Amino acid sequence: MIGRWTIPLIVALAAACGVPFVAGDYLIGVALSLAMWIALTESWILLSGLTGYVSLGHVVFYGLGAYVGILLWGEVGGVLAVGGAGLASGVFALAVGYPALRVRGPYFVMLTFGLAEFCKYIVIDVEAGLGQFSRLLLGGPSVLQLYYVVLGLAAAATALTFFVARSRLGYALRAIRENEEAAETVGVPVAFCKLAAFALSAIIPGMVGALMVARSSYFEPSQVFDPIVSFTIVTMAIIGGSDDARGPFLGAALLVLLSEILWARAPQVYMILLGILLIAFVLFAPGGITGRLLSRPVKVKP
Amino acid sequence: MTLLKLQSVSKTFGGLRALRDVSFEVASGEIVGIMGANGAGKTTLFSLIAGNATPSSGEIWFKGRRIDGSRPDQNCRAGIARTFQIVRPFAGLTVLENVMVAVLFGSSRERSRAKAAARAEEILHELGLEERKSQLAGSLTLSGQKRLEIARALATGPQLILLDEVMAGLTATEVNELLTAIRVIKQRRSLTIVIVEHVMQALMRLADRIVVLHHGEKIVEGLPAAIVEDERVIAAYLGSAS
Amino acid sequence: MQAILSWQLLFAALVTGSIYVLVALGLNLVYGTMRLLNVAHGDMVMIGAYVSYWLFTLSGLSPLLSMLIAAALTAALGALAYVGLFRRLLANRQLVQRLEGNSLLLFFGISIVIQNLASLAFDSTPRAYQYLDRVVAIGNLGITENRLAALIVTGILSLVIVLFLRFHIYGLAIKALMQHREAATVVGIDVERVQILSFCIGFGVAGLAGALLSMMEQITPFMGFPFTIAAFVVVILGGLGNLLGGMAAGLLLGILETYGVALTSPSLRSVLIYGVFILVLLVRPQGLLGGKRVVR
Repeated sequence: MIGRWTIPLIVALAAACGVPFVAGDYLIGVALSLAMWIALTESWILLSGLTGYVSLGHVVFYGLGAYVGILLWGEVGGVLAVGGAGLASGVFALAVGYPALRVRGPYFVMLTFGLAEFCKYIVIDVEAGLGQFSRLLLGGPSVLQLYYVVLGLAAAATALTFFVARSRLGYALRAIRENEEAAETVGVPVAFCKLAAFALSAIIPGMVGALMVARSSYFEPSQVFDPIVSFTIVTMAIIGGSDDARGPFLGAALLVLLSEILWARAPQVYMILLGILLIAFVLFAPGGITGRLLSRPVKVKP
Repeated sequence: MTLLKLQSVSKTFGGLRALRDVSFEVASGEIVGIMGANGAGKTTLFSLIAGNATPSSGEIWFKGRRIDGSRPDQNCRAGIARTFQIVRPFAGLTVLENVMVAVLFGSSRERSRAKAAARAEEILHELGLEERKSQLAGSLTLSGQKRLEIARALATGPQLILLDEVMAGLTATEVNELLTAIRVIKQRRSLTIVIVEHVMQALMRLADRIVVLHHGEKIVEGLPAAIVEDERVIAAYLGSAS
Repeated sequence: MQAILSWQLLFAALVTGSIYVLVALGLNLVYGTMRLLNVAHGDMVMIGAYVSYWLFTLSGLSPLLSMLIAAALTAALGALAYVGLFRRLLANRQLVQRLEGNSLLLFFGISIVIQNLASLAFDSTPRAYQYLDRVVAIGNLGITENRLAALIVTGILSLVIVLFLRFHIYGLAIKALMQHREAATVVGIDVERVQILSFCIGFGVAGLAGALLSMMEQITPFMGFPFTIAAFVVVILGGLGNLLGGMAAGLLLGILETYGVALTSPSLRSVLIYGVFILVLLVRPQGLLGGKRVVR
């Protein structure tokens, strides 16, 4: 059933594992970024690609994970901190998901954006109230260790999205995407299914957030809750042009490459290109995100 | 045996009263037709029974359990299926997947996708859609989408099925084919059907009993033959009453 | 406590609110006539603000004059966006099916492009200039002249727009399009023209609001987004196509924000705005159309 895609994926994973043996620090760093974006975008696709509830605030899970990570890391060590970050993001998704997922279509998009910004400012205010404007994380793991962990998360996110898309839940989610009333009327418990997808899509970004704080050894709220992260995720998914687990690879690879070339020298030019890519894909790639990408069927294999 | 019972059900939207004090019963195995002009409240009635909307007052009972206020997916699993007057296919999924979703989440709650696919194919065959199973549902003709609505409703394994103008917009030949298909399907599964139809003749040929709604109220209930001669019905249809 | 009850604060709330009224008006027009969700709307405010800033700093031109240039420029941008992108979007049957979502993504892309172009051109340091910043006393209320001027201009402009929509033939056409798209085409309204007009008025008014704002506050390339958010709150609260409702809602939001910040702390301003935004969306999940939808 997995057939054609298993082998290329395993090869890609094996190659990814081998990167540190042939590459220098710089390239390992780039590979780490790539793995991070794949993990984030795969998680996004689990929610937005499958259900059509397009989230423009996925950074909230990343940022929350980063915050919980930095708070816990010194106290309980890295492993538990990362686990705790994932758990916190998942629980947060469950808590806000129920009311938020009642909001449909473009209003959900705006709501997610607003929610992420809201959380950003709350954390900023809380930190300011504590007299902390940024925090340092010293003695974190090496880039190499981080690379393998994030690579593992990228693989896990890909597998999760892949299997959910083909599961019973996946059928329900895609039915919800196509027509929520009809889905409900044929027996799909829509509120439950949406909430499940929301929570599943939150956990890995939470863990990634904690790990990326360890990478930069530095935590600043406006950085880890930066809406550019959400925006990049959406653009990667759109460029990837698919509604299942295979999508993000191309999009993430292209944008990471672009970012490596441009980000350090001309961040604005990078952002402008990102904006143009988004416009072009929505307008000219037939159907764009909410049409082509979100409504292309996964092949049935009875 | 009474399968479905409505007790003085009313529904208001804002200030608008869509249904007022409607009561009737449907026995197991019956085909009941609902007649009424546009805006008489037929679709609202279906939405209330299926759980897509909640009555403002009154009670709805199904198999001896009160169901007003429960969600559509709960009602579906309890054995009520409906079609939509304005078709609502899962346009980006294939025809087969459309029906599979209903098998997976309907009253049978099938866990295995292979079994669900097999079951879905049987139902598509009954409705003459098996040729189109790999096609995207959005690319079907109107007639095809109407059949898909029925197939999807059947796939949930209902005891009661609510058919909302499944013949509207079809040609005479298509109507005849569909009528036959519905009869066969009903016999095979001992279904109970409530059907809203604008195509009068179809309703006359199919229904055991007819309920007539006018401006949200039930004005008559009776055998098809009696209904066509009823003065109130004629008046309502010609528009001299009200 | 005394500060809370002062006229000073009420006046500040009115000024903020009146800017929101103008910005939301344009958003309402573009959404109302075409169902396009313009999340780049606040960036027009930013552009208008920079136009006035540069014209004042370079040539000393009064923002009360340059606001017309700002409005003309953003109106032209509106026409360009319509002809270049949105006409295509509206004409594509596939894209129109999820028009609101697609338009949101397009405008989001536009917003990112505009903000970063501005940041590239003007760098991101906050800028400000002094104009009409003398304090005049009205009774025991001390206010700066520029705020007073801004309030007067927004008042007049709102009135003009209301009158335009009520009496002018194109104003009526815009309202017709808002209320019933299909019917509007049938009665012979040139939809294409009305849509361009909506873009021009919507964007132009936002640009003008930005010009007014530049007299009073610091400007940055990224100042636009909070205005987009505020405008959405206002439109949702006030009701789609309901321009008077929008005005009331705009003033209400101004009051809410000003008093909220005064009662708590300035650092909570963003939390407050986004909090209201989230709340409004959650409470009216049916969206902008809430309450007006015909159910059958």
